[in-house]
Amino acid sequence: MTNTSDPATATAKEHTTATSLRLEGLCRRIGGRPILDGITLEVAAGECLALLGPSGCGKSTVLRVIAGLDPCDGGRIVLDGRDITEQKPARRRVAMVFQSYALYPHLSVERNLSLGMELRGVAPEQRERELAAVLELLQLSALRRRRPAELSGGQRQRVALARALLRKPQLMLLDEPMSNLDAQLREELRPQLRAILCGGRAPAIYVTHDQQEAMGIADRIAVLEDGRLQQCGTPQELYHHPANLFVAGFIGRPQINLLPRADGTVVGIRPEHLKAVSSGGLPVRVLNREWHGASQLLLLESEQGPLRWTCDGNQALGDGLRLDWERRHEHRFQQASGERC
Amino acid sequence: MRVSTRAGLVALLLLWSLGPMLWQLYTSLRTPEALLASAGGLGGGWTLANYGAVLSGDPPFWRYLLNSTVVGALSTLLTLALAIPCAYALSRRGGLLRLLVGGGLLAAAVFPYVLLFLALLQVARQLGLANNLLALCLPYAGLQLPLAVLLLQAAFAELPPELEESALLEGFSLWQRLRWILLPLMGPAVVSTGLLVFLFSWNEFPIALTWISRSELLTLAPAMARIAGSSVYTVPYGAFAAATVLGSVPLLALLLLFQRQIVAGLTQGAIKG
Repeated sequence: MTNTSDPATATAKEHTTATSLRLEGLCRRIGGRPILDGITLEVAAGECLALLGPSGCGKSTVLRVIAGLDPCDGGRIVLDGRDITEQKPARRRVAMVFQSYALYPHLSVERNLSLGMELRGVAPEQRERELAAVLELLQLSALRRRRPAELSGGQRQRVALARALLRKPQLMLLDEPMSNLDAQLREELRPQLRAILCGGRAPAIYVTHDQQEAMGIADRIAVLEDGRLQQCGTPQELYHHPANLFVAGFIGRPQINLLPRADGTVVGIRPEHLKAVSSGGLPVRVLNREWHGASQLLLLESEQGPLRWTCDGNQALGDGLRLDWERRHEHRFQQASGERC
Repeated sequence: MRVSTRAGLVALLLLWSLGPMLWQLYTSLRTPEALLASAGGLGGGWTLANYGAVLSGDPPFWRYLLNSTVVGALSTLLTLALAIPCAYALSRRGGLLRLLVGGGLLAAAVFPYVLLFLALLQVARQLGLANNLLALCLPYAGLQLPLAVLLLQAAFAELPPELEESALLEGFSLWQRLRWILLPLMGPAVVSTGLLVFLFSWNEFPIALTWISRSELLTLAPAMARIAGSSVYTVPYGAFAAATVLGSVPLLALLLLFQRQIVAGLTQGAIKG
């Protein structure tokens, strides 16, 4: 996996036309209970959208409905201008990388990748060419004769990705493709995956529950909770202008400080926006501290509730600590509805 | 447990299960006189004459072996050809339908088929299916279908659904998914189910006895019964034992050939793959 301009990438993507995806009020119910409740989204050609949310929020269901693996109980799916809501999964030209990778365990890497092309009637020479290109692109050439059981997690994930790319999809769906990998490998693979997904011509939807991963990979993030879309925007927008309390709390680590006010609103202030002042502000007491190297995270107690403060690693600590913040960094939410004021 | 105790127990178990077979082998190699003189003795009276007699009978014994093999193979193929699609469909259905069909199949699988054979004989008479080896496959496949569907359905249900979904998104047709992805992964289950059907058909007695009367069309079980009852005055122990041994050789070969798949099939699902 090098940069996107090399010839291997170009070959792998040659036939995908620029497409965009639009979801209009997507609904999915199981036994009368709404799993997805009117999801409306747009993903542009070549854009990578992360679907982010806690487990059970319905994000994987969105993928399954788009792919046609689960029925759609309302709304429309429009891919490249055509309504595919009622189309059979096989005809949607949608590729999916499953969380478990779903590699065919009885076939070698090579066969895993070429069987689909063979059954779709791709000519042998073209098959060989595309296979070689994608093996090269994902650094799998040396492993082509191995069975999935003989591969490491990261290698399996690359094979699954290669298989999805060979489908020449008009839309790429990835369901927590990195959740089975260890943290270090995830971090290593993130830029490579980004290079492959973004800048392609097909849009990609990347499901994850890890906000750091979403921020690292996606152009835009859609936050889902309880089957409802909470907010969709660039990582910066989500961070600086969270639409509601849920998004504010879900995006950004360490978590935002939420201070309830008497007037029925909640003030949100990010831990890094607090600063020590000599007078005025909020008097606090240090409960605990985590040292992170360049910075440290302090867990504090104040009369308005607990606070998190990310400060300089050398910040002197004392009992008379007082904290304040600039009003422009403040987020205000309605306590009852959770919406931003 | 001490090693010697364990070895003793294993030997006992082997003797228990292999004893009758070894006894048959022994009987088949003794002259009638030797058998009567000293049951279990090892001195004198060894002979291959029993085998000669069985093989040179009219029709020769290999004819019965061939008949049973043909019936067994066809019954197995027919059963699998019907059971695989049924099992697939059943495993992909949820809820009440699966419960009802599954329950019905289970009831059919445990029903003592011996109670049916008179009725089946009537059917065979009406349809003119008597003395026809191919027709014999119909009740065999029919009787084994419920069990085969249940076994294969469990095997289908055990495969992770993403495998098929992945193939579906790749554009595989239903047949292609079965042929290239699902069935290759179910090899052990298909083999052990097929062997169960084959064994049933190989051992089946009442239907074979009543449907087939022409001696050149007999399958093994009724043919051996004929050998046993061929003389009014003596019981041809030796010839009968020789026929038994010859009749089990093909089965043994088959079991040895598929040993690995059978064991894998039996323990399937015991631990997560």
